Amino acid sequence: MLKAIRFTMIFAAFFLAAPLTAQAETAETAKQVVEKFQAELIDVMKQGKQLGYAGRYAKIKEAVINSHDLNKIARIVVGKEGEKLTVEQQNKLDEVFSNLSIASYAHNFKDYSGESFVFDAEEETTRGGVVVHSHLVIPDDKPVKFDYMLKENGSSWRIINIIANGVSDLALKRSEYTTILQREGFDSLINKINEKIDNYSKQ
Amino acid sequence: MFSKSFRACDRKKLFQLACTGVVIGTLVTLTGCATTGVAEQKVEANPVDPYENFNRNMYGFNNSVDSYVAKPISDAYRWVTPQFLQTGVYNFFNNLKNVNVVINDVLQAKFDQGLQDTGRLALNTTLGLGGLVDVAKSVGWQQNDEDFEQTLAVWGVPQGSYLVLPLLGPSTARGIPGSMFDTAANPATYVGFPVQLVSMLNSRANAEGALKFIDEAALDPYVFTRESFLQWRDNLITDGKSEAKNDLLDLEGDLDVKNPGAASDSASVSKNDGSAKEVASTPVDNKTVQTFDQASQSFDEANTKIDRLKSKRHKKRK
Repeated sequence: MLKAIRFTMIFAAFFLAAPLTAQAETAETAKQVVEKFQAELIDVMKQGKQLGYAGRYAKIKEAVINSHDLNKIARIVVGKEGEKLTVEQQNKLDEVFSNLSIASYAHNFKDYSGESFVFDAEEETTRGGVVVHSHLVIPDDKPVKFDYMLKENGSSWRIINIIANGVSDLALKRSEYTTILQREGFDSLINKINEKIDNYSKQ
Repeated sequence: MFSKSFRACDRKKLFQLACTGVVIGTLVTLTGCATTGVAEQKVEANPVDPYENFNRNMYGFNNSVDSYVAKPISDAYRWVTPQFLQTGVYNFFNNLKNVNVVINDVLQAKFDQGLQDTGRLALNTTLGLGGLVDVAKSVGWQQNDEDFEQTLAVWGVPQGSYLVLPLLGPSTARGIPGSMFDTAANPATYVGFPVQLVSMLNSRANAEGALKFIDEAALDPYVFTRESFLQWRDNLITDGKSEAKNDLLDLEGDLDVKNPGAASDSASVSKNDGSAKEVASTPVDNKTVQTFDQASQSFDEANTKIDRLKSKRHKKRK
C-alpha cells in the first residue's frame, strides 16, 4: 500500500522543475517520451540501493528534464498568482521547484520489487495535446493507473501532468501553491519547498 | 493509495457519526455567544470550500487528537500485533463492508458487479473463515469500492461544500447522509464496543502510510488533503472515468486565454466543475459562515488547551 501511495505521489511531484530548456532532439512520439521516462524510472529503482540518494538524484534529474516541460508546469502551478511575481521570484521558484521535483523522485523511488509499467492507450485531446494511459503493475497489490498528459513544445512532446488513480498532480499542486501564495506569500512558499527538499535528502 | 486512508475515515465515521451531530450542535450553540473576530484573511473563497476557516481549525483539532490519542494507540497496536493478524483484521472488516457494497451496487444498477460482489462476500465469509482470509482476491475478484455517497452522486445529488468533521475527517455535504446510510448498512455497527474499537484501530493503522505520505509531501497539508480527497471521491464516483481530459483543458485554458476572470478559480473547481457551479448558485448565508467560524474558534481553543496539557505533562516528567 505504502508503495502504491509513493508511486502515485511521486510521479506527481516532479513537474515543476526548472527552466532548463527542453531541447528538441529527434522527434519522439508522446508515447515514446512516456515509455522512455518510465523505463528510466524503473532502472533507477532497480539500482536504488547502490546509487544512494545522491546517485538517484543525479540519474533521475536527466530523465525528468528530458521528458517534462518544467517551464510550463511551473507557470500552471502558480496560476493567476504568477502574474504578481517578479522575474527574480519566478526564476527562484523555477529553481527550487525543479529541485523539489527531482528530490521527491529520488526519495520515493528508492527500491524495486518487481514493478512494471504497462501501456494501455493513447488519445488526442481537442487542444492538440495527447494523453497516454498506462498503469503500474505492483506485485501483490492493486495496479495504479497513470495517465500522462503531454503537449508539444517546439518539435518535441513533453509531459505536463500526471494523473495517478484519478488524482491530478498538477491540480493538487496548483491548489497548494496558489493557496500558500495568497495566504502566506512568496517567501513562505520558498521556505516550505526548501524544507521538503531537506527532509527528502535526509531520509 | 489515498483510498485506504479515506476509507479509514469513512469507517471512523460509521462509528462516531451519532455523537458528532451532538458535538457540533452543542458547539454551535455554545459559541453563539462567544466573541468573534476570526482574522479575516484576504483570500478568495474557494467555491468548493466556503467554510475554509472552520475546516482548517477542525483539521488542526483532528490532527492534535490524532497525534496525542489515535496515533499512539494505533502505533502500539501495530507494534504488538503480528502482520498476519493485522491483515486478518483488515480482511474481516473489509468483508463486512461488502454487505453495503452489494446494496449500493444494486442501487446504482450495477447488477453484474453486484453479483460478483455477492460472490465475493459469500466466498470470503465461508471459505475465507468469516472474512479473515481474502480468498476472492486469489480467484481474481477485486474488491470494489461502493458506498451510499457514490450512489447519491449517481442519482444526481450535488456534492455540496467540503466539510471537515470533528474526529471524522474530510467529508462533504453529500457525504454526511452517505455515511449515515453506510453506518446503518454495516454489520459492524451492531456489534459490541470492543469490536468497534478494533475496527477503529484497524482503520487508523491502515491510514498510516497515506498520512505519512501527506506529512512528507504536502506543503499545505490541509489543501493537499482536501484536493486529494475530493479528486479521489470523484474518481470513485465515476469509476475511474473522471474527466482527465477536462482537467487538462481547464488548466491549459488558463494559460492560453489570458482571462483573469476565468482563471480565478482553483484547479479543484475545474475538477469538480458540476458541483462547484451548484455551490455557487446557492450563495452561502453569511450568518452560517459566521457560526461556523465561531465554532471553529472554540475548536481552536480546545486545540491550544490540548497542547498546553501536553506540555504540562512533559514538564512533570522532567
